[in-house]
Amino acid sequence: MATGFWSSTHYKRWIVDRATLRQARATDMRYVGDPEYFIHLSLFFANVITKLGKKLAFRQRVIATAIVFFRRFYLKNSYCETDPFIVIAACCYVAGKAEESPCHIKNITAEARLLFSQQPYGVKNFSVDNSKLAEMEFYLVADLECDLTVFHPYRTLMSLCRKEGSNESQTEAGEVGVGIDDGPRYWGTGEGQLELPDEALQLAWSIINDTYRSDLCLLYPPHLLAIIALYLTLALHTPTKELIMQKSQLSPSDDSHVSPRRSSRQASASSFGSKKPQDFIGFFAGLNVSMPLIATIAQQMISLYSIWERYKEDVDTSDTARSAFCTQTNSPYSATTQGTGHTLAEGRSASHSRVGTPVVETPDDIRKVDGLSVVTPATLVQTLTRMRENRLSDLARHSTGGRPVVINKMLERAQAAG
Amino acid sequence: MLDEWSLTILQSDPMKIYRAKRDAAHRAVTSKYTILGFISSGTYGRVYKAQSADSDGIIYAIKKFKPDKEGDVATYTGISQSAIREMALNREISHENIVALKETILEEKSIYMVFEYAEHDFLQVIHHYSQTLRIQIQSQILKSMVYQLLNGLFYLHSAHILHRDLKPANILITASGVVKIGDLGLARIIYQPLQPLFAGDKVVVTIWYRAPELLMGAKHYHKAIDCWAVGCVFAELASLRPIFKGEEAKLDSKKNVPFQRDQLLKIFEVLGTPQERDWPGVTDMPEYQNMKRLDPYQNRLEEWCQSRIRSLQGHDLLRQLFAYDPDKRLTAKEALLHKWFQEDPRPTWNVFHHIAAHQLPPQRRIQDEAPSMMGVPAPTHAQTQPQAQAAHVHGQGQHLTHQSQANLSQQSKSASTTSFASVSAGPGPGQSYAGNQGNTSRKKARVG
Repeated sequence: MATGFWSSTHYKRWIVDRATLRQARATDMRYVGDPEYFIHLSLFFANVITKLGKKLAFRQRVIATAIVFFRRFYLKNSYCETDPFIVIAACCYVAGKAEESPCHIKNITAEARLLFSQQPYGVKNFSVDNSKLAEMEFYLVADLECDLTVFHPYRTLMSLCRKEGSNESQTEAGEVGVGIDDGPRYWGTGEGQLELPDEALQLAWSIINDTYRSDLCLLYPPHLLAIIALYLTLALHTPTKELIMQKSQLSPSDDSHVSPRRSSRQASASSFGSKKPQDFIGFFAGLNVSMPLIATIAQQMISLYSIWERYKEDVDTSDTARSAFCTQTNSPYSATTQGTGHTLAEGRSASHSRVGTPVVETPDDIRKVDGLSVVTPATLVQTLTRMRENRLSDLARHSTGGRPVVINKMLERAQAAG
Repeated sequence: MLDEWSLTILQSDPMKIYRAKRDAAHRAVTSKYTILGFISSGTYGRVYKAQSADSDGIIYAIKKFKPDKEGDVATYTGISQSAIREMALNREISHENIVALKETILEEKSIYMVFEYAEHDFLQVIHHYSQTLRIQIQSQILKSMVYQLLNGLFYLHSAHILHRDLKPANILITASGVVKIGDLGLARIIYQPLQPLFAGDKVVVTIWYRAPELLMGAKHYHKAIDCWAVGCVFAELASLRPIFKGEEAKLDSKKNVPFQRDQLLKIFEVLGTPQERDWPGVTDMPEYQNMKRLDPYQNRLEEWCQSRIRSLQGHDLLRQLFAYDPDKRLTAKEALLHKWFQEDPRPTWNVFHHIAAHQLPPQRRIQDEAPSMMGVPAPTHAQTQPQAQAAHVHGQGQHLTHQSQANLSQQSKSASTTSFASVSAGPGPGQSYAGNQGNTSRKKARVG
């Protein structure tokens, strides 16, 4: 947060369109085989960064910044020509400093080396030498064009909502609010905050975490991602929706918890305390953002959850909302998705129709989801290794023959198949 | 099957191809800029005057962060927090009264930040008036300098940025008389910090400009610390010497922050000993017990202002910038609206608007024979030591002390030949600048 999002480098330089993304991935796409793997790789790397971040005792915002740096780096580079693991370590190192939560380079080298040497990563050659990480940092910062201030949806979420029964706007625990102007929101017309039960707020927070597991943080401004997190929580996640409805009906009529509010929101805030149920539709309408756009992004998020269903990784599930959207095959919210024109199943088939001819995978894991083989971190690490090897041997071939030539697609496919 | 070349890359240096690609595409600093001379040095590295190799030939100040050394070989040790801040913040901000960053170049383990060039700075102007002209700064000029400084600070504060190192040496003025706040190396965003500000930097702001809440050991502080520093700068412009020129107590071996007795005394001598009624909560400050042991003083700011500021409104502005209670201290915005700026003479956008040509401060003196990058004795922690202030940040070359002058001339004998390590003797093309003669005599006056 410096001068506001609309004048930031984040908005002006690092929100890209899908065509740019496709172009950035052209090289990797030639080697990856199953294009869906690319989506899984995004998820996989976000999980690696989250794991390393947690080992370094980073706050969620620092982890999110590291992931954004990683995504921005790969707008200009390819997995197959780099070592994503050293890039990850460098992203964490820079993110710590950019978010004023620095972590010593020695700790990062040690933790990264330890984590990456374990299965499924099996990185044997992560250097003990701090200067290798520092060198990567140097190139990373240059590739990031020194744009190190990143905006995140968490703050928007917290300015839109507050925890049920609390009279203070929520901040991430431990945030020191010294000298902060609690100015009016600069967008939207809504004055009031939604009052949500803990579970709902947590779900929305987790959905935001999940947006970082995809490319959405490169495609859309963070405040829109905060709104889709709310939208998914309130409109599409039936259990939460029912919970809120139930709670607002049972809501006690005392107003005591809303009394001392500082801002002009006081008037509308106290109306939430009354018996009147909260007006969700009015709330979203008052945000002054394009609801069709929100629905589109929400749909992309749902598609992601369904693609992720094929991916199995043992991760700490506390920071993801996957379980709320993934594992329910008879999804109770599928009925409510009619408004968006897509059901979960449709989203899924739509995503599959984009997939060309799926490459047959070496069946080291024969479990199937909907007839497709399960993807594990091990699969992805193998894929990654194969991509890098194939890329290198192509480069080696071209370097002897002078100028690089167009890759022979047939040959490549043969290689990809093993 | 992979050949040997590929295997080596995968196993021992997986980023080799990436680096080769980046290095091949990199355009060297020296191909984009011609170095005209050396301006100043500090703990961070040094500042050079340079001219764009483009046809526009614009002059810039290039701040080169010194690379870390292992023995004689430069090595990567990680970019400093201060460099990260300065790089990141400068990318986000843009304001008439803030030094603009043109670009940052990362090359050969060094970071080069290319800033717009400013011919003067507040410290130089103060010296020019006290040593050469031997008169007070005319009130119109004084008022314009303070106004533009506040205007830049207001922008920073609205962007939730604390500068944390405002002092005359860090506040520049362009040849066309526009004030530019520089050096964001200690600055940081304070919007919803993940950790208390105190956790990051134990000591902020050069001692003479440090706010009383910091001196009293406050763990939390906010924008008001910059406003205090503006008060100090304002007073220094008016009297041509630092108003609170205290001796800094050094950190002990365990890096504990000591009680800054002398600095507080210097403040109390002018503003009086703070009382609970002007500063509620002062009794709870960590250093209160130490403070109680100091002799009591009465406020005599009015008397101080009589001969120096010669305006009731000017005195009132200073009084409010020097409010002990940080919450009552004037904010940058309030200060901009102060009556002093509304009464004649009004501030101007060229601070030198009404100055006679012969009274203009001279151009920045640059050394064309620059010392080598290698082995310059770094002044210890320039940010917190007024002694090192002269050698700090953009363009303090002309205020170097005897000691560092001697060092520099020694260094230059062993200067290497690369252009950023040194600039060869004798004016090269585009290196003829006026006022060299005058500069030399001025330097003597100042050093003596």
